[in-house]
Amino acid sequence: MTAVPDIEFRGVTKRYGAVTAVSGIDLAVPPSAFVALLGPSGCGKTTCLRMIGGFEQPSEGQVFIRGQDMAGTPPYRRPVNMVFQQYALFPHLDVEDNVAYGLRQARPRLSSREIASRVGEALAMVRLAGYGRRKVHELSGGQQQRVALARALVNKPAVLLLDEPLAALDKKLRTDMQIELQNLQREIGITFVLVTHDQEEALSMSDFVCVMNGGRIVQLGQPSEIYDEPADLFVADFVGKTNLLSGKVAGQSGELVDIALADGTVIAARKRTALRQGETVSVSLRPESLSLGAPESGRFKGIVRNRIFLGSTAEYAIEVQGIGTLLAKADHLIGHGNLFKPGEPVAIGFAAGTPLAFPDPKNNGTNQRVTKHVEIIS
Amino acid sequence: MSKSYRDGLPISPENFVDQLMRLKRGSIGRRDFLGLTGLGIATAVMAREIGIMPTPAFAAESLGDRMSIATWPNYHDPATFENFKKDTGVAVEVNVFGSNEEMLAKLQAGASGWSLFVPTNYTISTYQKLGIIEALDMAKLPNFDGSQEDPRFTSEGTIDGTTYAVPKNWGTTGFAVNTKQLTKPMTSWKDFWDTAMAEGDGRTMVHDYQLTTIGNALKYYGYSFNSLKQDELAKAEELLLKVKPHLFAVSSDYQPGMRAGDAWMTMCWTNDGAQLHRDIPEIAYVLGKEGGEIWTDFYAIPKDAPNKPAGYALLNYLMNPQVAVKEHLANGAPSTDARVNKLLPKEVLDNPILYPAADLLTPLEFGAAATLTDPGRAELMARFKSA
Amino acid sequence: MSAGTGAVSMHGNKLRDNLLTALLLGPAAAWLVVFLVLPFIAIAVFSVGERAPEGGYQAAFTLAQYANLPARATAFWNTMMLAPMGALACLLVAYPVAYYLALQAPQRWRLILLALVVIPFWTSLLMRTYAWMYVLGGRGIPALLAYVGFEDIRLINTPGAVLLGIVYGYLPLMILPIYVSLERLDRRLLEASADLGATPLSTFLGVTLKLSLPGVMTGFSLVMILLLGEYLIPTLLGGGKVFFIGNALVDLFLQSRNWPFGSAIAITLVLVSVVVLIAANRISTQVSGARRVDLI
Repeated sequence: MTAVPDIEFRGVTKRYGAVTAVSGIDLAVPPSAFVALLGPSGCGKTTCLRMIGGFEQPSEGQVFIRGQDMAGTPPYRRPVNMVFQQYALFPHLDVEDNVAYGLRQARPRLSSREIASRVGEALAMVRLAGYGRRKVHELSGGQQQRVALARALVNKPAVLLLDEPLAALDKKLRTDMQIELQNLQREIGITFVLVTHDQEEALSMSDFVCVMNGGRIVQLGQPSEIYDEPADLFVADFVGKTNLLSGKVAGQSGELVDIALADGTVIAARKRTALRQGETVSVSLRPESLSLGAPESGRFKGIVRNRIFLGSTAEYAIEVQGIGTLLAKADHLIGHGNLFKPGEPVAIGFAAGTPLAFPDPKNNGTNQRVTKHVEIIS
Repeated sequence: MSKSYRDGLPISPENFVDQLMRLKRGSIGRRDFLGLTGLGIATAVMAREIGIMPTPAFAAESLGDRMSIATWPNYHDPATFENFKKDTGVAVEVNVFGSNEEMLAKLQAGASGWSLFVPTNYTISTYQKLGIIEALDMAKLPNFDGSQEDPRFTSEGTIDGTTYAVPKNWGTTGFAVNTKQLTKPMTSWKDFWDTAMAEGDGRTMVHDYQLTTIGNALKYYGYSFNSLKQDELAKAEELLLKVKPHLFAVSSDYQPGMRAGDAWMTMCWTNDGAQLHRDIPEIAYVLGKEGGEIWTDFYAIPKDAPNKPAGYALLNYLMNPQVAVKEHLANGAPSTDARVNKLLPKEVLDNPILYPAADLLTPLEFGAAATLTDPGRAELMARFKSA
Repeated sequence: MSAGTGAVSMHGNKLRDNLLTALLLGPAAAWLVVFLVLPFIAIAVFSVGERAPEGGYQAAFTLAQYANLPARATAFWNTMMLAPMGALACLLVAYPVAYYLALQAPQRWRLILLALVVIPFWTSLLMRTYAWMYVLGGRGIPALLAYVGFEDIRLINTPGAVLLGIVYGYLPLMILPIYVSLERLDRRLLEASADLGATPLSTFLGVTLKLSLPGVMTGFSLVMILLLGEYLIPTLLGGGKVFFIGNALVDLFLQSRNWPFGSAIAITLVLVSVVVLIAANRISTQVSGARRVDLI
């Protein structure tokens, strides 16, 4: 990649008094990419976005936009625009004046005809043509969201920053907007940087996901990499649903490692880092990688405790003696050609190499982890 | 006299409050001071409370345990009321007022709660006409000796042979001049008004009070202080409008300006003149040789006084020359009572501000009741102030 | 109280709600009637009466008092100048203070600073104005100026002193509503404006100022209406040389005791105040697109 990155962080650290919000971030965002900064609240993702926007200054390091060091450049001189959380539309202006706001700041001044035509285009682009004279408080959440988009994009920024843009929308609308945003990004071809705590949103929309935790980047990669090859236990747990099984390293066999689980079962798992013999590990097993079958087949035997029907699939909470409760996701026609019922015995299998073992510094109990998932789905 | 006037700067807090309380008549400032500081409300509440107390008039001469007096700020020796309480057991609530008009309004409204008050000479006939003051029972005032009073000061207390009020003290209205700033000797109202437009430009104060301001403008032309004649008032108005742009202030609260040196000349009442001269010797008190105002403050008892026996008792007490002399030393105004004058120290009696020469007193006029309520003069004053 | 909720509930509930409403509002309503409506009616009745020979009121029905209003035209004119100018001067001083308090001051200092703004209000305005009389008088600031060589500077009884007194006296009333509206201002709007390329100045003009307009109008109309009746500060710091409606009223009620004429002026003043309030409300609603900020 020889192209100048649209956004580049070099050794960026941000401290608020004694609290370090962002610590030693290095990141380069290639042109025309859709990047998601993903992480739990307090991970530093919003601080990073605000440093791009110019609302915060790094304590150390530099932020570049298209190769330009932004140190000392105020927000109003940066070639980026932001869609704010809850949109921050100007309540005293109507839709058209909100969208025209940035254009009216341009120096040399733009002609009113040009402003009008660009505002019209922007509103058409977000499918709000004809809404120009509405007051913003008369619009629905989704419409306000689109006004915010139009208001940012009408300025033709080098990079569009989106701070939890969909958080305030209901689920159906959120899904629609995800698609709309993706299409928009492809259409305009500029870089979008999206901040979200919603892993599903990050995975579904972006070309690259940058997972953050505790002020650091823990993994950067394409959504499938993040999901399939999580860099560490945090990513495995945070991105998507997974079963975490506690165990000890029992032996090494080339690429794979043998893990002895609590009930004595030994399974072969892939590893991300070297693991010592006897080390306590957590093994991640994605619910969809589990297969359910007749009680006599499979690796684990358990009893269905809970079933959630999801249309094309169903999720099961299955209690396995000595291991805990496992979450499994299955096409509902698999197995008996019918759904398993709560109370029914079932065997759980998985393909060799699907489990992934991580060193577990905290040595959390398996039960606790899985129970949390059950709570979420029930 | 109040000790705070002898010490130090006028900005000392003690002095500040003191001066605030010293304004004598018609001062808007003080009126609101009373209202805004809650003093007015406090006294009003006290007054009402007293009004509720069952004190049937002359009921076996029981004095009760408290009464209320309406008077002017800093007009009494506080020890007087303390001693009265010691002697009789009656606590005296003191209400201070800014103008005769206010007192009149309060009494007209009824339930003032006062058992004694201090009206100025020209209001007494109005009170009598409205029937809101008591014809005094002189038998209850053995300490009062009419033969010892200068009839010039007492006459307005008696109407058609009936005594409605007895005098407290008298005084004059002249002007005070800072002789260091205005060195030319001045002896007349003509001097006053001419100087105001010349050397005293921007340094002269007149009262915010139609009686004296219009009255002393009339004196410029030698007309009566109380004139209600259209053409004479027109001349006075012409003078006032001409002087207005040259004035430092239109205010009855003139001591601060004179003391600070911002004002060099002001219309002035006797006691203020005496105080200013005592503290700042270069400030002289001048009576216009054309004349001007002479006044007497009286004691009277409202008809609806809630505690008339105590009112009479206090009035009688105040008429005791031994008591009255202390009152005069405290407030500085000259006494009407020959018995009191005998007791006053020589330097007080020799003070020409308090006891001016007879030839200066002769042309002075008492304010007239008609002048006070004349709408024409009120409108003239409004035109002057808004010019 | 919303009328809409009652429509859905049972008839009995509605009755009970109304009763409760009446009980809750009763004391306030009684207070209003006794201390606002009744005096207003009394003043209105007085204003069509005549002055009694000894002063006060005498029953009559005449519009003579209103016909006589031009006799106080100067006072009206002076007041109409003083009130907006004074309110404007107050606004110019108050806005930066409110802005600092709401948007710049460190959070932990904010309450303390706000208290410092309000605390002088606990002392009588007259006392504070008297203090200014001494500060501006010949032995105050001019004495200090003379000490450093600026002789003969007079501050007291000048228009500047009146303006200072007004600004000082009414500042908290202007600061508080502006502070409230600025404090409520969504900070992200300011960031959004900067993000869209607006310089701090155009952000201030285009967003901050416009959105704080309800507070500005509240403060402005509050101060202006109080200034319509102001007489104390011009009297004490201006030497009583300029005659305002407040002075006219004081003189008419307490000196010449021409209650009917004073009442006619008072009624006129109330009408002017109402017009000012309505106009202020209109302006702020139109410009900011928001409802007005009610004081605290």
